Amino acid sequence: MSKKHEIPEVDIVVDHEAGVIREVKPQQTRSKKGHERRVNTSIYVILVLMSIIWLAPFVFLVFQSFRSYLTESGGMEAYLLPKTWSLDNYRWLLTDPNSHFLRWYGNTLIIAIFVAVLQTIIVLSVSYALSRLRFRGRKLIMNMVLVLGLFPGFLTMITLYFLLKQFGLTQSGAIPGLILIYVASSGMGYYISKGFFDTIPKALDESARIDGATRFQVFLKIIMPLSKPIVIYTILMAFMAPWGDYVFASYVAFGSEPNYNVAVGLYRWVNVNDYQGYFTRFCAGGVLVAVPVTALFMALQKYYVEGVTGGAVKG
Amino acid sequence: MASVSLQHIKKVYDNGVEVVHDFNLEIKDKEFIVFVGPSGCGKSTTLRMVAGLEDITGGELYIGDRLVNDVEPKDRDISMVFQNYALYPHITVYENMAFPLRLRKMDKEEIHKRVVQAAEILGITEYLGRKPKALSGGQRQRVAIGRAIVRDPSVFLMDEPLSNLDAKLRNQMRAEIILLRKRVDTTFIYVTHDQTEAMTLGDRIVIMQNGYIEQVGTPAEVFDTPHNLFVAGFIGSPQMNFFKAKLNKSGESYSVLVHGHTVQLEGDRAALLKEHNVSSQEIVLGVRPEHIALAQDDDPNSIDGEILVNEMMGSELHLHVRCGDDQNIILRVPTIDLSPEKRRSLVSGNHIRFSFSSKVVQIFDPKSEKSLLWTNL
Amino acid sequence: MTDLDYLKLSGAGKFAYNLGQFFRNLPGRLLGGLKGIGLWVARLFQSLGKNLKDLVVTFREGDWKTRLSYLVMGFGSCARGQWGRGILFFLFQTLFNLYMFFPNAQFSGCYYLAKLNTLGTVETYKEGRKTIYGDNSFFILLYGILTIFFIIAMIYTWRLNVKQNRLNEQFLKSGHKLKSTKEDMAALLDEQFHKTLLALPTLGVALFTILPIIFMILVAFTNFDATHQPPSKLFTWVGWDNFHQLLSTDTTSYGDTFRQVLLWTLIWAFFATFLNYFLGMLVAIMINKKGIKLKKLWRTVLVMTIAIPQFVSLLYVSKMFAADGLINTYLMKWGWISSPVPFWTDPGWARFTIILINVWIGIPYLMLIATGILMNIPADLYESARIDGANAFQMYRKITLPYMLFVTGPYLLTSFTGNINNFNVIYLLSQGKPLSLELSGNAGYTDLLITWLYKMTVSDTNYKLAATMGILVFVVLAIINLIAYNLIPSVKNEEDFQ
Repeated sequence: MSKKHEIPEVDIVVDHEAGVIREVKPQQTRSKKGHERRVNTSIYVILVLMSIIWLAPFVFLVFQSFRSYLTESGGMEAYLLPKTWSLDNYRWLLTDPNSHFLRWYGNTLIIAIFVAVLQTIIVLSVSYALSRLRFRGRKLIMNMVLVLGLFPGFLTMITLYFLLKQFGLTQSGAIPGLILIYVASSGMGYYISKGFFDTIPKALDESARIDGATRFQVFLKIIMPLSKPIVIYTILMAFMAPWGDYVFASYVAFGSEPNYNVAVGLYRWVNVNDYQGYFTRFCAGGVLVAVPVTALFMALQKYYVEGVTGGAVKG
Repeated sequence: MASVSLQHIKKVYDNGVEVVHDFNLEIKDKEFIVFVGPSGCGKSTTLRMVAGLEDITGGELYIGDRLVNDVEPKDRDISMVFQNYALYPHITVYENMAFPLRLRKMDKEEIHKRVVQAAEILGITEYLGRKPKALSGGQRQRVAIGRAIVRDPSVFLMDEPLSNLDAKLRNQMRAEIILLRKRVDTTFIYVTHDQTEAMTLGDRIVIMQNGYIEQVGTPAEVFDTPHNLFVAGFIGSPQMNFFKAKLNKSGESYSVLVHGHTVQLEGDRAALLKEHNVSSQEIVLGVRPEHIALAQDDDPNSIDGEILVNEMMGSELHLHVRCGDDQNIILRVPTIDLSPEKRRSLVSGNHIRFSFSSKVVQIFDPKSEKSLLWTNL
Repeated sequence: MTDLDYLKLSGAGKFAYNLGQFFRNLPGRLLGGLKGIGLWVARLFQSLGKNLKDLVVTFREGDWKTRLSYLVMGFGSCARGQWGRGILFFLFQTLFNLYMFFPNAQFSGCYYLAKLNTLGTVETYKEGRKTIYGDNSFFILLYGILTIFFIIAMIYTWRLNVKQNRLNEQFLKSGHKLKSTKEDMAALLDEQFHKTLLALPTLGVALFTILPIIFMILVAFTNFDATHQPPSKLFTWVGWDNFHQLLSTDTTSYGDTFRQVLLWTLIWAFFATFLNYFLGMLVAIMINKKGIKLKKLWRTVLVMTIAIPQFVSLLYVSKMFAADGLINTYLMKWGWISSPVPFWTDPGWARFTIILINVWIGIPYLMLIATGILMNIPADLYESARIDGANAFQMYRKITLPYMLFVTGPYLLTSFTGNINNFNVIYLLSQGKPLSLELSGNAGYTDLLITWLYKMTVSDTNYKLAATMGILVFVVLAIINLIAYNLIPSVKNEEDFQ
């Protein structure tokens, strides 16, 4: 990516008499200045409004999670601020024997950690091979992935469910089963990291190979240390995805409540169970899930931005 | 230390384009060979085949007496300096230079000794602790060279190492490479598009165009006896002037008719033509700018031309002149000999007369573009 | 039309011309494609012939080691000292034989292969209280495909094994030494490193993506549904019946519903892609405008919707818009409305709400991308435009927008594809509701093909139609991608960008 440019704050004036083009300091007239200010003010108004819209649901979520379950209600009510602030919902989630929340949380965390590690290894392997090694069948592989990507992912789920069932990897074995599903096909998501590897000069590999490195050593000693942003991006994406997955998780763990992930568990609270009783518990659960994941994301936001912008620009 | 032998080397890309055709060259041990030519002539590809970075489509490549067609670059006992330096950005200069040695599992003390020694040769000792990003272009290129020499390779490859430097630094580094060569004393293959680098550095120069070798020879040979129009035009700056002319043979003697002016060929020129049995024909006459002199206005043995551009270079003037169909004939006129009046007259639009000695002209066949003097058609 | 005439056209004119050109060229291109396939088939037969000839020659000219390798794979390699390769060949052959001719016939490859044409004939039945299991159509189909995979792999490996022998013989004859097993292993980290890197991922994709997809493509031609569920019931081949049921307009068929759902899917994907795209770009331009302060803060606030897991935010927001949700209750409390707005119960409102909420989810993402690209537009373009006398809006229209569109062309295509298959947003917000008697197959007014497919699978176990729908989604996407590929310059020249 080239240098970032700022539009310089100068006006350019063509001086017809002298026949030259001059750069002049912005000597703004009063009306121009006023116009500028009006534009900026309206932008600020829009941005503030947007910020409110963007944040409000999350603020509401937090408010409602603190509503007392015992003295008020656990359902949807026609007011926002709790009459009494309490930790009822959190207490129930974390301590009540009827709550599987901690279990779900643990399930999701385990899945996320395993997926983050394994998927990162696979994605980096594939993208490195496709970006920097040249071998027969390379184009073929990339075209195949392109075509396979046009099939809806869920289509494979039906087959995989029965396959996994054969090996006891559904319901009570849903967690290893899900890890396997997420990781097995993750090689197809090589696009963004390949785009990153493509930007590292080829001469580095060549130089290292002449210096005596095998391709494996080039990968390990030269390319990996230079790829910190994309490694972090890949780990971050792999780690976050399992937290939000409903489709696969609900299918593989179908009917086995202790083996849900948080998304399936909480979804069932609001949409399948009597949500009037579980709404504030859902809110509290949502807060408990969102806080660490969001914190992690915000901490690594820089790498995320690099990843998505690089990926989109590269195509 | 090793010789390099390229026998019928050929490179065809996957898309079927052939970029190097039947390349034959014997490089002697400790020789400094320069591949030179315009971009896309196949010089870099050839070098990269020697390095093992490109597969060799056909032919045989020997380093020493070992056939290395299918040998990995790391096992060829070569090192290479790249145009963009290719320094590893995440490690220090010291580590960059130690990298090839560490991969060879060399003893720590020995590594240290070699790195420090190479750094001293190149004058980069004080930067050893820095990362490449903190260095200037010239310093980076020194590190790249250092990384290549610590290994004491038997062949040293350089792919346009100076073209990323600015003009002043390039001159300085060029001199340093000459000095370096004296110290490391190994076989060099150096690729450049710059004929000055080629002339100053090479023991022998390989001039390439469109994947073919046009001529191989010492700097003096390619300058004085260019085998074809391409070499004649490529070597020398400003480039050689070409005139449409006619060669006349009468009896045993040859003369050239150029723009109404007849030049009698003497000495070796005439002898060579005779030896090659050349008869009267259309020719292209090549004369280097420095061999053309201004003539008196009334000199009957001179050619008339109209000045298009006058470039003041300091010690000399470059006059771009049109004579008839031949555009852009260049004359180098030393300013020291010019009277002020004469100098004032040398401006665009004015006519001048010039002449040259027949002893230094080059004669080419316009169809085959080959030299009628140095090649036997 | 000459190049100069083309250059004279307006933007819309150029687009129309290109579109027309595309359809005009279509027959020729299709013909070209067919010709390509023909050539490919011809080349296939050619190479088959060459391979057969090579097999004969190798046998005739080979020594006894080579000849024995025709029967015992890897023998030649072992005999010539390449133990590693030889043992691998031999292991593969053993594994293959074991699988194909497993003593328990019920589990052998041959059994599955033999039953593939009927998908099983022996019904499961009950003898008193005991269930006697018959054929399992599901596994016959699945393992039948796997067996075919295996046989193809076997043929390939066998050919490789013979070829190795031939090459080794020639190599030894010319006085070279063969690579030792140790060198072979070392090569896996160097010349053959791609094999090391790709082996596992390829196996994963083959087993978890390719195999299931082929399986489901075939299921689309069977009657595998709730009434034909293995292991108690068999299912079998039915030809194109499922496509007929999904596409035809008989009253008993799903044709009308399918068209409605497809139309909504395309509308949704269009808005989800382009509305987000332009709004996101607008927001990026506002935030990046000179003189706007706290740029980082605005960005961070917006990025919240990316950071928070979608099931939390979308589920919560879907409840906010419910009839008894915060929005309706407050609007009623303030007296703005007398009865709840039917956000989720009226088809039109539901679709509108979904697109709206998706903007909330999607803008930040595009804002980030647009920011990255805006910063990369060379400043001299703007400087030169200013000298030419352009104002802010003209600069946007003539520089920013074309640049963005060109650079993000491929992204737009991927994004459109992704939105057609965007399960999460729809399912977490509306589950495809509102349902209607006018739609068959349990489809709702906000169902996309993909969520409808999900429902068919999970609640109806109507696998045959789900599979058929999956194929149709693929066809729709393939057509869109092909057109885009031909019309968007930056998609076509993807490689040029890298």
